Amino acid sequence: MGAYKELNISPVGRVEGDLDVKVYMEDGVVTRAHTQAAMFRGFEKIMAGKDPQSGLIVTPRICGICGGSHLYCASSALDTAWKTHLPSNALLLRAIGQATETIQSIPRWFYAIFATDMANKKFANKPLYQEVVKRFAAYVGTSFQRGVTASGRPVEVYALFGGQWPHSSYMVPGGVMCAPTLKDITRAHAIMNFFRNDWLESVWLGCSIERYLQIKSWDDLLAWVDENESQRNSDLGLLIRAGLEFGLDKFGQGVGKFMAYGTYLHKDLYQRPTVEGRQTAVISPGGFWDGERFFDLDHLQIEEHVSHSWYTDTPASHPWNEPLPTPLPSQNLENSDFNGKYSWSKSPRYMGHAAEVGPLARVIMNANPNNLEHQIQDPLFLDIMRVKGPSVFTRVLARMHEAPRLYEYINQWLSQVNLDGEFYVKPTERDGKGWGATEAARGALAHWIEVEDGIIKNYQVVAPTTWNVGPNDNEGKPGPIEAALEGTEIEDPHDPVEVGMVARSFDSCLVCTVHAHDAKSNEELARFKV
Amino acid sequence: MANVLWLQGGACSGNTMSFLNAEEPTVVELVTDFGINILWHPSIGLEIGHQVTDLLNDIVAGKVQLDILVFEGSIIQGPNGSGTMNYFSERPMKDWVKALSEVAGFVVAIGDCATWGGIPAVPPNPSESTGMQFLKKQKGGFLGEKYVSKGGLPVINIPGCPAHPDWVTQILVAIATGRIQDVLLDEYHRPKTFFTDFVQTGCPNAISFAQKVDGHFGKRGGCLFYEVGCRGPMTRASCNRILWNRTASKTRANHPCLGCTEPGFPHHDLVKGSVFKTMKYLGFLPKDVPTGTNKLAYYTRAGFEKVMGTAENIMGVNKEHFETSK
Repeated sequence: MGAYKELNISPVGRVEGDLDVKVYMEDGVVTRAHTQAAMFRGFEKIMAGKDPQSGLIVTPRICGICGGSHLYCASSALDTAWKTHLPSNALLLRAIGQATETIQSIPRWFYAIFATDMANKKFANKPLYQEVVKRFAAYVGTSFQRGVTASGRPVEVYALFGGQWPHSSYMVPGGVMCAPTLKDITRAHAIMNFFRNDWLESVWLGCSIERYLQIKSWDDLLAWVDENESQRNSDLGLLIRAGLEFGLDKFGQGVGKFMAYGTYLHKDLYQRPTVEGRQTAVISPGGFWDGERFFDLDHLQIEEHVSHSWYTDTPASHPWNEPLPTPLPSQNLENSDFNGKYSWSKSPRYMGHAAEVGPLARVIMNANPNNLEHQIQDPLFLDIMRVKGPSVFTRVLARMHEAPRLYEYINQWLSQVNLDGEFYVKPTERDGKGWGATEAARGALAHWIEVEDGIIKNYQVVAPTTWNVGPNDNEGKPGPIEAALEGTEIEDPHDPVEVGMVARSFDSCLVCTVHAHDAKSNEELARFKV
Repeated sequence: MANVLWLQGGACSGNTMSFLNAEEPTVVELVTDFGINILWHPSIGLEIGHQVTDLLNDIVAGKVQLDILVFEGSIIQGPNGSGTMNYFSERPMKDWVKALSEVAGFVVAIGDCATWGGIPAVPPNPSESTGMQFLKKQKGGFLGEKYVSKGGLPVINIPGCPAHPDWVTQILVAIATGRIQDVLLDEYHRPKTFFTDFVQTGCPNAISFAQKVDGHFGKRGGCLFYEVGCRGPMTRASCNRILWNRTASKTRANHPCLGCTEPGFPHHDLVKGSVFKTMKYLGFLPKDVPTGTNKLAYYTRAGFEKVMGTAENIMGVNKEHFETSK
């Protein structure tokens, strides 16, 4: 029997929101982990009984990082409930909003949240460490400032159509508020071009977008790194070389099942929005992958569990049938009973399974051989999953892989906006149920609404972080981050950077805190923010 | 050099995201060139766990000087005043805020949640949220009506949902460069330099407002005050003077101003008929009229303009001013 320890980490920084993590270790390896979401605001309760369009104002403010994604869901939920008509222009401008928010998040997350951990002293004995510190160290790294500053560019495009980022409400049932002019479109192209020249191709790829998108397999990717000095020394080249050298591909596996709703409703395929018609209209495909097989996405397969969440017990149920949550007394991490309730997060399950959501889930769906002609077809990550499997490294690579393709789509959609066409068709308000979904930068996001007597009767939001960070379900099975922490080797329990890297690789939308405990003496060894 | 500690309560991180878009100066320049020393920040701080708790304890004990406490998000007091719906470093966040505000040189509340309670405080206010020194228009909030920081000022409120990054960085730079005496506060503790003019100042549709030309969603030109609830004429903020994301503002993108720098946002607490609709008496008289006008005087003047406009249309007066091209 080896040394058994518990690690309490509170707060775990550089994620958004409040998350605490408790890990139990044996011989320096995590054997079990509990994640605790530590803050409650009750947005769903605030919306009940209010104007049906309240979600357009309220839900972007659930999360300042995913505000455009919440808006995409809130407007879609009303589109399906009110049976609106959506002009092509509106579908394009909504997709552009979603895509610019996501591409903004890619360099911002990589440099400000993730890569600073690669400059941790844990890796000081590795040959590439000096180069990593030179580029990725917080504030002073040569790429840090460039990446963080470049991340502001794409949302300038969002602001051209939405007025500002974060927190616009420009997507409304029936279309969008704006009616852009020629100069808005040309300026948007110019800003995106600046983003490409200033960071995406010059700093990140070291090659053209076209060249990068030719990569179809893990072997292709490795060959790409060694193809020339420019690619080898790009930030992506360095991430791949250092990531493998530092062993980031060796931990943070997770539950091995993935779910995506997909997003970017096609301009010609969703002018009559329905819940049933959504999945064939998305450009970035949705689905569920159990590690071997692909399944079509069906939102009715989703249920939320609350047996370990600080809410009154209710049976596992689909969001349309769920009551609004009634909060119960909570505890800090130190005093939480992990056999009972221990988080403000619920535990969503797909066909009864915990499922990882996020960029890795999306790029796996891109490799589904059954994708339709208008959908992304890209086999790369199914190959990487087969050769390398899931890990911190694979997750980071998936996140970054989306930038070049999104860049191409944003320009394509901008060029398709018809300045003589309609942007909004005034809808008729009516009662009913609706569902709106999207892929936020950090994963699958959906809103379920029920309007009765002209006011909101029920509003349920299931956020990507709820999927990833949720506690144990009714059967005691762990959530994806809890599972991903298991098996992680912690070199120094007083600076458990590995736990931080696992949590941050999911880009959790919570401020996470990890506590490390010696399991026998229960002495707290360390706590830190992820 | 100024030590800044930034904490989040009932927050969405939107003000942090907005802050990261700052241009003049950028966040990195604020640190490297303007002497702002960020002791810790939840999204970009490097310290973790114990290191954070130790830092907070050192600040409270006076071992580390805290020049500026920046707070984002509401103060969560639920349930029943305990604050346990928002733990941070093992304590209710509200207890940390109380202790830190007693040692801070200046306290800056950023965004509507920290200033007036914001969306979390909309009835039924499930988390018992309040602002730092106001709850909606009511002075008091969490720290109380009489609170002043060591530097002699009440909580400096930088409202907005979110606050514009330049409003935040400029106030931080003003404090760090010893210009705090130039920061004048209005009745809601907002720096007057940003919150004296109205959103309507600089709005390209101001002429349509004057001439009562209606705007609508998906249409170029026209004023959004009459039908879709724009609050530009009664909201003090510099959104149309200092643009958002370098490029735009809500009203420039045909998005009605939501009035988010005024206490009480979201106005009318989201009741049926208040979202993206101008609330009216008798079906045509706006319930909320521009700040500084008497309702009856406004209705009389507006009615005259409306009638004149209709008469001009009948007479075939050329109205090139209101035509906007693609």
